Amino acid sequence: MNVNPILMQVFKNRFAAIAEEMGVTLNRTAFSPNIKERRDFSCAIFDQAGDMIAQAAHIPVHLGSMPLSVKAAIDTCSMQDGDMVMLNNPFQGGTHLPDITLVAPVYTGEAEPSFYVANRAHHSDVGGMTAGSMPLSTSIYQEGVIIPPLKIVENGEIDRKLMDFFLTNVRTPLEREGDFSAQIMANLTGAQRSRELIEKYGLEMVNLYARSLNDYSEKVTRSAIAMIPDGEYEFEDFMDSDGVGQEKIKIAVRLEIEGDEALLHFSGCAPQVRGSINAVYAITLSAILYVFRSLVKEDIPTNAGCLRPLKVVTHKGSIVDANFPAAVAGGNVETSQRIVDVVLGALAKALPKIVPAAGQGTMNNITIGGMDKRTGHPFTYYETLAGGVGGTAYNHGESAVHSHMTNTLNTPIEALEYSYPFQVTEYSIRKNSGGKGRFNGGDGLVREIRLLADAEVTVLSERRMLPPYGLFGGEPGKVGNNLIYQDSQKQQMPGKFSERLKEGDIVRIETPGGGGYGTTPQPEKK
Amino acid sequence: MLIIGVDTGGTFTDFIWKDGDQWGEYKLLSTPANPAEAVLAGIQHVAADRSYTLVHGSTVATNAILEKRGALTALVTNQKFEDVIEIARQNRGELYNFFYRKNPPLIPRELRFGLPGRVNQAGEIIEELTEADIETLLGPLTAAQVESIAVSFLFSFTNPEHERKVRKVLSRLKIPISLSHETLSEFREYERTSTTVINAYVSPKMGRYLTYLSERIGEQPFRIMQSNGGSISAETAMRESVRTILSGPAGGAVGAFEMGKIAGFPRLITFDMGGTSTDVALIDQTLPLTMESSIADYPVKVPMIDIHTVGAGGGSIATIDLGGSLKVGPESAGADPGPICYGKGTEITVTDANLFLGRLIPDHFLGGAMTLEHSTLNQHFETLAAQLKLTPTELAEGVLNVANTTMERAIKVISVERGFDPREFTLFSFGGAGGLHAAYLARDLNMTEVFIPCNPGILSATGMLMSDVIKDYSQTVMLGENEIVVETLELHFNPLENRGQEDLLEEGVAAERIELERYLDMRYQGQSYEIMVPFSADFREQFHLLHEKTYGYCNREKNIEVVNVRLRALGKPEKPEFPKLPFVGEKLVAEALLDERDVVFDGVSEQTRIISREKLQHGNLFNGPAILIEYSSTIVIPPFAAARVDEFGNIILTIN
Repeated sequence: MNVNPILMQVFKNRFAAIAEEMGVTLNRTAFSPNIKERRDFSCAIFDQAGDMIAQAAHIPVHLGSMPLSVKAAIDTCSMQDGDMVMLNNPFQGGTHLPDITLVAPVYTGEAEPSFYVANRAHHSDVGGMTAGSMPLSTSIYQEGVIIPPLKIVENGEIDRKLMDFFLTNVRTPLEREGDFSAQIMANLTGAQRSRELIEKYGLEMVNLYARSLNDYSEKVTRSAIAMIPDGEYEFEDFMDSDGVGQEKIKIAVRLEIEGDEALLHFSGCAPQVRGSINAVYAITLSAILYVFRSLVKEDIPTNAGCLRPLKVVTHKGSIVDANFPAAVAGGNVETSQRIVDVVLGALAKALPKIVPAAGQGTMNNITIGGMDKRTGHPFTYYETLAGGVGGTAYNHGESAVHSHMTNTLNTPIEALEYSYPFQVTEYSIRKNSGGKGRFNGGDGLVREIRLLADAEVTVLSERRMLPPYGLFGGEPGKVGNNLIYQDSQKQQMPGKFSERLKEGDIVRIETPGGGGYGTTPQPEKK
Repeated sequence: MLIIGVDTGGTFTDFIWKDGDQWGEYKLLSTPANPAEAVLAGIQHVAADRSYTLVHGSTVATNAILEKRGALTALVTNQKFEDVIEIARQNRGELYNFFYRKNPPLIPRELRFGLPGRVNQAGEIIEELTEADIETLLGPLTAAQVESIAVSFLFSFTNPEHERKVRKVLSRLKIPISLSHETLSEFREYERTSTTVINAYVSPKMGRYLTYLSERIGEQPFRIMQSNGGSISAETAMRESVRTILSGPAGGAVGAFEMGKIAGFPRLITFDMGGTSTDVALIDQTLPLTMESSIADYPVKVPMIDIHTVGAGGGSIATIDLGGSLKVGPESAGADPGPICYGKGTEITVTDANLFLGRLIPDHFLGGAMTLEHSTLNQHFETLAAQLKLTPTELAEGVLNVANTTMERAIKVISVERGFDPREFTLFSFGGAGGLHAAYLARDLNMTEVFIPCNPGILSATGMLMSDVIKDYSQTVMLGENEIVVETLELHFNPLENRGQEDLLEEGVAAERIELERYLDMRYQGQSYEIMVPFSADFREQFHLLHEKTYGYCNREKNIEVVNVRLRALGKPEKPEFPKLPFVGEKLVAEALLDERDVVFDGVSEQTRIISREKLQHGNLFNGPAILIEYSSTIVIPPFAAARVDEFGNIILTIN
């Protein structure tokens, strides 16, 4: 059978539609605001070997890690028709514990599955030392329940023992169970649509085009890499600290471009650290895939083919490839951003017109937990805050928007004050925080909250010491700033802290600006 | 009594009129510089010296936003929150684009003014606002020569005192002022402020346009179409212009809904394929509403007819992408240069593919008013086909196949993804290019019927003629489980009902023709999205059932919340009746058959009848392959479809 350019387009559409419909189902049927309002999830479809065929454009940090989850599930469990496997172990295909992946085989009358479908959702609590499971931990055991690949659904039935065991270990079991059923629904939808596709076109043809679409994405990605001048490009940058010690932590890359292939060496990176910002290999892969996917202008399926021209070398036990039992809660949200920064920094030397200066380089994770006197119930609030985007060769960077590895929405102020004992006292753009340049970096933002109840506040943020870099003479963006006001006493806080505060206290987060691009034009002298 | 419906949406300004049993339509080239000219000329033509009622769908407000040519507008809001409309929801519209820029807010920073004055969620004033505070703005607002003001304070819908105070002081400036609690009395500050800003931004322009028209049509009753599918008086439309955005497509949906209802098709998926885009909507016995619309990325949270748009149309361009696959759209040749067959274009479009396969008939395009250029077509198809290693015919069918896939996906978004099975619906096709694709689209979606209305080119104007007077009201109440008692809800509904009743009487609706519909926006405690439930004795159970249908589950143990109360006030006019055709029989009259020619269907060339639609009669029945020609569209009936003509002149295709 020959590959036909028309059917190629048709199949590209149809596979993408399956992944997207899974996402709609998950979003539609999920319970928690984190999935529904912030849309922190991803869905994808995989071939027989576990290679990704298409992923819906959801959250970039899930890009490279979904296939590793599916391979871990295939390797450890023999999945029969009607089975589903769940997992969250970062050292077995996961990223950090709140991200739980659910994998299902698609049988079409053959002995082996013809396809797999999978989805991953960020659960707002999976147990561990603090509510929200995004703690300043020093070991993964403090971060929540670790789930190796296990059959949670067998022959169409949920394994109640396993589910009860899991639900007993989390703070909000009803919400978790609701989100789980949404994940199951999403996979059922994906499997059903895959079977319909096979009924319509036959297995042989669907397989042919699944393979062809990988070749297709590979071809387009290669042509994007071929535009990069051959050579070696190096860059290094640092994380402020791991929240336990004070030392800055190095992340470095050597990028080798040869023809239409790219080799990325991360051997110069710091060893893994005690604090919770270690990244497992899957996260590093996601960050790289995000960068190269962004170089491609065509609307290609994000799949295994995109990865083929990329070779990644890391040291086991380093900050970008952490070993068990490292603490990893923040690697997913913070370190992933810095990996993007260094890969882009190296690429800027080769593609100065295409690569932007550094974005804010953090997600500014804030968790507030306590007891709401108005309702008598405990509450947990978790949110990430946007910041500045780096300037480019053609334009200023955007202000107050999420960059690179995340794209979650904010919570409206009026929604916040209805749901939590807070009064928001400022929400504004942090003027002049973007680095100056030919084109300025975008500005960060300011979020200031007065607590109307005693509460524990945890902030996990970066770029509080070392600013987002500028490019080609552009100035760096301003570092972020975390402040607490207690009895009108201003207190400067570190980038990562956990603090018990009193009613009336104020938390103020100022997020970093993006780096500037190019030298600032001088005013003409008369 | 003469009623005239006018739609200024496109290249043509469409008129449809009714006077007793008499119906008629009229088309005139639009006059974009001042759309009123074409409107007035058409009215003159239709009405002459008779008195009439005018229902008008206008794109003045829509274009003011799309072209960023609204009034110079200022925003007055809480200090330290002046940037809320710039931060928006903090996400970016494109995931993989280093150069992504948001559409900048309609009001720049220097025209956003902060004042003290803070209200909390309970409506308590926790920071005062004095008149002296507001007076400090008089100087700067005058100096900036602003033409309109939007006022939006946090929680103004729980206590509007501060917004009213601002209007009291700033009314000295004698310019229009839009208050957020009046425009949209609902929580979520960004969306409410955005809606209010849009209203302030477009109102002066709309006001000038409608005043110009009113002065010239004198005492004739004059109604404006809204995006919620109903109409309002011109005076109201000047104040609440945001409610007229996207009213053109709404007219089409209303037209489809009313026509379908009369002809016995209450469950429809509408398919309106134009030159650059395609609109689809799902009508399940009732007009679908959404509160989640936006225009040019700015949210507009007033209720609108739920219409989904994709960038595929007759002008969509076919290219080979970097990976060697055939791509169709979203780039469009538009009207200029247009498709190759219009004479100027150089890239193959969907329209060209239809012509190449013989499905468009050059001599009959727009009644022969425009000739289609066939001579260079072959060469273009051969060149592109050779690059793809296809035959030119395979390429042409491929272009249509790829375009259909995009439209099929749009229909799945509004049906399958929302829990509806398209097989239970009829595909209602209108718009210039719809008839060329509808049968194939229906086949791909396993739908068994396609409905093509009589006069498909002026459906939107027809909808305007058929529309009710509608006013929507809402109020965020945020009632917890223990506060949800019928007496409390009644207390919240009362002021809205009084307003609705008064406003409709003022609109000139007779008291006995007023209907008030009550709704609740409900959710489970902890959720961040709401479902609109009709208010009835068992509204709780209705909520659980609707939640189950929409989201796949419900939980009767869980606490619920009532977020908003909503009121829809309808003035139901006497609907014009469509004239019925006498039954003639299955056989077509000889004059209906214009020609026979070869047309390619699924790779096979077949002898195909070319039939004039205006010669068809009630009861006619025939099988494909056939091509139906009418003034503004062409209908392809492939070999797998059969057609029949109903008593109103509508055509119904059965797909095998």
